[in-house]
Amino acid sequence: MIKKTFKVPDMTCTNCAMKLESLEDTLDGVKEINASYHKLLMVIEYDEAKLTEEQIIAAVKKKGYQAVSV
Amino acid sequence: MSRNQKPPVDPVILVMIGIVFIAVAIGLAVVQSGPNSGTIANDSGTMSQLLVAFVTGLTTGGLSCLAVQGGLLASSLAHQIEQDYVQQAAHHQPRKKSNVQTPARSNSAFPIFLFLVAKVVAYTLLGGLLGWLGSYLTLSPMTRAFLMIAIGIFMVGNALRMFNVHPIFRYFSIEPPKFITRYIRRTAKGTDTFTPIFLGALTVFIPCGITQAMMATALGTGSVVMGAALMFAFTLGTSPVFFVVAYLTTELGSRLEKFFMRFVAVVVLILGLVTMNGGLNILGSPLSLQNLARSLFPSNSGPAPVAQANQPAPVEGEVVLYVQNEGYFPQTLSAPAGKDFMLNLITDKTYSCARDFVIPALDFYELLPDTGNVQVSIPAQEKGSKLFFTCSMGMYTGQIVFE
Repeated sequence: MIKKTFKVPDMTCTNCAMKLESLEDTLDGVKEINASYHKLLMVIEYDEAKLTEEQIIAAVKKKGYQAVSV
Repeated sequence: MSRNQKPPVDPVILVMIGIVFIAVAIGLAVVQSGPNSGTIANDSGTMSQLLVAFVTGLTTGGLSCLAVQGGLLASSLAHQIEQDYVQQAAHHQPRKKSNVQTPARSNSAFPIFLFLVAKVVAYTLLGGLLGWLGSYLTLSPMTRAFLMIAIGIFMVGNALRMFNVHPIFRYFSIEPPKFITRYIRRTAKGTDTFTPIFLGALTVFIPCGITQAMMATALGTGSVVMGAALMFAFTLGTSPVFFVVAYLTTELGSRLEKFFMRFVAVVVLILGLVTMNGGLNILGSPLSLQNLARSLFPSNSGPAPVAQANQPAPVEGEVVLYVQNEGYFPQTLSAPAGKDFMLNLITDKTYSCARDFVIPALDFYELLPDTGNVQVSIPAQEKGSKLFFTCSMGMYTGQIVFE
């Protein structure tokens, strides 16, 4: 398990954070996601054997946001 | 954001649009045909409060609530939208640039309807609870003033956040605790009727600025029934706008959402400033809009009161103020400096909040009789000084100038 932080600059409300956190339920290999609208950050703890950074970025994009690895 | 299919008109939508029009019509009709020729107050003042709550909800509350609670509603619909998307993806190749999920066909009207019904019920119960609490603690005008200023700052901060003025304003958006959002998300799994009902009820935990102001009013009623009725009227009023905007934004996509959010931001900004101004009036601050205007344009004493002609001439050492449904007349009174005097407050079928008379500097607060005469002893004041007075809502104001 590793923990990675992404900057998500186009969050516009707390609901955006909730939407990103919902990736917890759909992305295989994710243990926990904490997204903050205040900081425009998303911290994701995941199994790198099951999931790659690119897949995370793609999943975030599917939600309508751009994620940039910090 | 291309759409392949045009959704057929859902019967639920037609019914809801009908409800919207009926609600607007009732709102307008009731306001216009209110008793006492033109004033929306009635004998007890109760209907007046309920109507104001309803119209506030109808005109502005819906937009403000949507800005804050839209997230919960979106959460309740997200799974359905996501399911639609997954179903589409399962049948078709993934399309490029499909960064915004707009379902080709989603039945969001019924969940929104359930969400709003649950919200109305939950807020009615909350209103009852607040009214019950209010029967134990009464908000003084000063407490209410600080509360209004705080709410005003919160609203202005939120508007500036929506305009993306500075990152600091993001902190005006209250992030619900993680365990709550996680619980809500885990609950929002199905498209059954329970989920939107449950999430609608949860909106009580994230009230918008205007709702919070209404909650403070419900608290101030000090009555379970009145508190519940007030919140019911307000939340019912918010529902049509909430429904239409929520439906359009979920159906028509993010471009329209951005437009509405800007509109909401403007409305919230104006309401925030008005709320803060009301708070400043109750504090007796010379910085409120009305008091500033009176300082800049001293001749502004307002129109002559209707009932003034029938009243006896004021006695020596007495200053008369007419308290009417439309406010205080004259708005600027002159009084001799360096002498105690009596301020004679005359009401005549006055049912508006002007009856809730406050002189902040003297810490004087009294609910005047709807018809009658109340005398207030004003201690000697320095020459050139001013004493501001207001109603307890900070809506109607005036001043006494000492010469």
